[in-house]
Amino acid sequence: MAVYKRTYKAYQGPLTPAWSRFTVLSRYGLSTLFDSRPFTAYTVLCFIPFLIGLAYIYFVHSTTAQLVLNARMGNGPGTVNNDWFLGFIGIEAAMGFILVAWGGPGMITKDFANHSVQLYLSRPISRTEYLFGKISVLATLLSCTTWVPALLLFFIKAGLQGHGWLWDNLWMAGSIVLSCLIWIAVMSLISMAVAVWVKWRIAATALMLGIFFLLPAMAAVLNAILRTQWGNLFNFTHMITLIWMRLFRERVAELPTAFNAVPLWAAWAWLFAVCGACFWLLDRKLRAREVERS
Amino acid sequence: MPAIIEMQNLTVRLGNRTILDRLTGALSGHCIGLLGPNGSGKSTLINTLLGFYQPVAGGARIFGKEVQSNLRELRAMIGYMPESDAFIADMSGVRFVRYMAELSGLPRSEAMERAHEAFFYVGLGEARYRKLGTYSLGMKQLAKLAQAIAHGPRLVLLDEPTNGLDPEARVRMLQLVREIRDTGEVTVLISSHLLRDIEECCDQVLILKEGRIAALCNLEEERKANLKFLELEVTQGNGFLESVRGLGCECAAFGAGRVRIILPDDIDLRQIYRTAAAHDVQIRRMNYRRDTLEDIFLKAMAGSQQASAVPQGSANGRL
Repeated sequence: MAVYKRTYKAYQGPLTPAWSRFTVLSRYGLSTLFDSRPFTAYTVLCFIPFLIGLAYIYFVHSTTAQLVLNARMGNGPGTVNNDWFLGFIGIEAAMGFILVAWGGPGMITKDFANHSVQLYLSRPISRTEYLFGKISVLATLLSCTTWVPALLLFFIKAGLQGHGWLWDNLWMAGSIVLSCLIWIAVMSLISMAVAVWVKWRIAATALMLGIFFLLPAMAAVLNAILRTQWGNLFNFTHMITLIWMRLFRERVAELPTAFNAVPLWAAWAWLFAVCGACFWLLDRKLRAREVERS
Repeated sequence: MPAIIEMQNLTVRLGNRTILDRLTGALSGHCIGLLGPNGSGKSTLINTLLGFYQPVAGGARIFGKEVQSNLRELRAMIGYMPESDAFIADMSGVRFVRYMAELSGLPRSEAMERAHEAFFYVGLGEARYRKLGTYSLGMKQLAKLAQAIAHGPRLVLLDEPTNGLDPEARVRMLQLVREIRDTGEVTVLISSHLLRDIEECCDQVLILKEGRIAALCNLEEERKANLKFLELEVTQGNGFLESVRGLGCECAAFGAGRVRIILPDDIDLRQIYRTAAAHDVQIRRMNYRRDTLEDIFLKAMAGSQQASAVPQGSANGRL
C-alpha cells in the first residue's frame, strides 16, 4: 500500500517465525554499535592479533621466510602449540574486554533510560528472548574476534603442518571454542547484569573495570591477610584463566602456585554461581521494568 | 457483538495489596473506555491483559483466548501505547516504528512500509527521519501511537493517550482514535481519567473504583434510553405539574421554572404541549437531557455497586 493512502489498514501479510524474533534485537543492536566510528575502528583493531598470528604461523612454516630473516624456528618457546593458542586467546580476550565494557552496558541502559523495555515485552517476545537478543550482540561480536580467528589459525596451522597434526591436536579446537564461549558468556552476563543494576552506562562501564581491576587487588589483600589462595575467587580473570589452563591441558605441576591452590571444581562452581547470580539479577530487574509508570 | 475482552473473577495482587478485586464482565464495544480515579487499577488491568501481571485468581480472555496461556499469540494481535515516555531517543522515528513492527513479526520490507504509512497516518510524515529525542511531547505521543498500530493489531490498548497534550494535539489524537475505531477492523481500549476523552470516543465504558467494577455501561444505549428524559423551562402555571403527573409521568420542579420529566413509553410529547396549553404555560426551553458520562462516573464513585450487581445502563432514570 502506498504511503499516500492515509487510512488505517490491518496487516494481513506473512509473519516471520516466532523463534527468529530475537535476531531483530541482535541486528538492531549491532547496527547501533557500529553507528559509532570509534567503536568500529576499535573492532577492526581487534583483528590485528589474528593477522600477526597468521603471519607468524606462515613464518614458522616457511623456510624461505626464515632464511630471508635469518631466523630458525625449532621446537622452542615460539612453537605453535597449546601454549601459543592459550596466549593468543588471552590477547584477544583482553582486547574483547574493552569491546564489552564499551558496547555492552549501553545496550540495556538505553532501554532502561528510555523506558522502552515495556515496548519490547508487550510484543510477542519473552524476557529470555529479549536478554538472549541483547547477549547475542556481544556474543556475535566477541566470537568474531576470539574463537573464530583462533579456530581459523588452528586449521591453517594444521594445513601447513600436515602429518596428522590435526588429528593429534583436535582436542585443542574444542578447547579454543569452549574457552572462548565460557569467557563470552561470563563477560556478556556480567556486563548486562551490571548495566541493569546501575542503569547508567558510564557507571556500568566503570563498575565493569572495577570488577576486573579492583577486585583482583582485593583478592590479593585477602590472600595476604588470611594466608590463603581462596581470595582468588574474587579475581575473575584468575578464575577464568584457571579453567582455560586446564582446558588447554597445561601441566598442573608446572603451573604457578596460585593456580594450583584453588581446585578446578571450585573454579567451575564459581563460574556457575556468577552466571546464576547474573541471570537472577537480570530477570529480577527486567521483570520490574516490564511495567513503568510516568 | 461478541465479547473482545472477558474477565471472570479476575483478581490481581501486588505484594499484600489487592489491586484488581474479582472483576467479572465482558467488554464488547468498538472503543472501550477504562475510567477511574488514580490508583483504581486501570493500568494494572491493561498490564494484566498484556500478561505482565499474573492473576492470583480468575482470569481474562481476549478474543476468546486465555491471556496467560496464549501470551505470544495475543501479543501479536495487540498494539500497546504506554502511559510513560517510552521510545529510543537516539533512533529516528521511522526506524523506531519499523523496529517495533519487526519485533511483532513483520518481515523487514513490510515493516518499513508499514512504519512509513503509520507515520503519515498519525501526521508525522515530515518528521519521520528526525530523532525521537528531538520530538515535542505531542509528537512523542503520536509516535507512540504509530508504533502501536504499525503492525496492524486487532486490539489497541492506549494508556492515557492525551496526557500532557495541548488542546489541538488532543483533538488530533482523539480524531485518530475515532478513525481507527470507525474502520471496524480494530478494537480500541482507552484508559483515561479524562471523562471528555472517553465520552468523545467510546461506545462502552468500564469504571473502576478501588480495584472493583463500579459501573459497566454501554454509552450508546444510555444515550438512546435517555431520550425520554425531559428538562423544561416554563413560566409559572398552577396545576401544570399535577396534570403532567396525571398523565402518568414522573416529574420534579426546581427553582426558576425548571421541571424534569420522565416520559413513560405510552406518552407522546404532544400531550405535554397540550397540557401546557391547557394551563396557559409557556414552554420556553425543552431539552432531552441525557446523563453525561460525568453523571454516570459520579454516581459510580458515590455508589457502592459491586461487580456482581452491575446493571447495564445503570445510570438511567434519575431525576
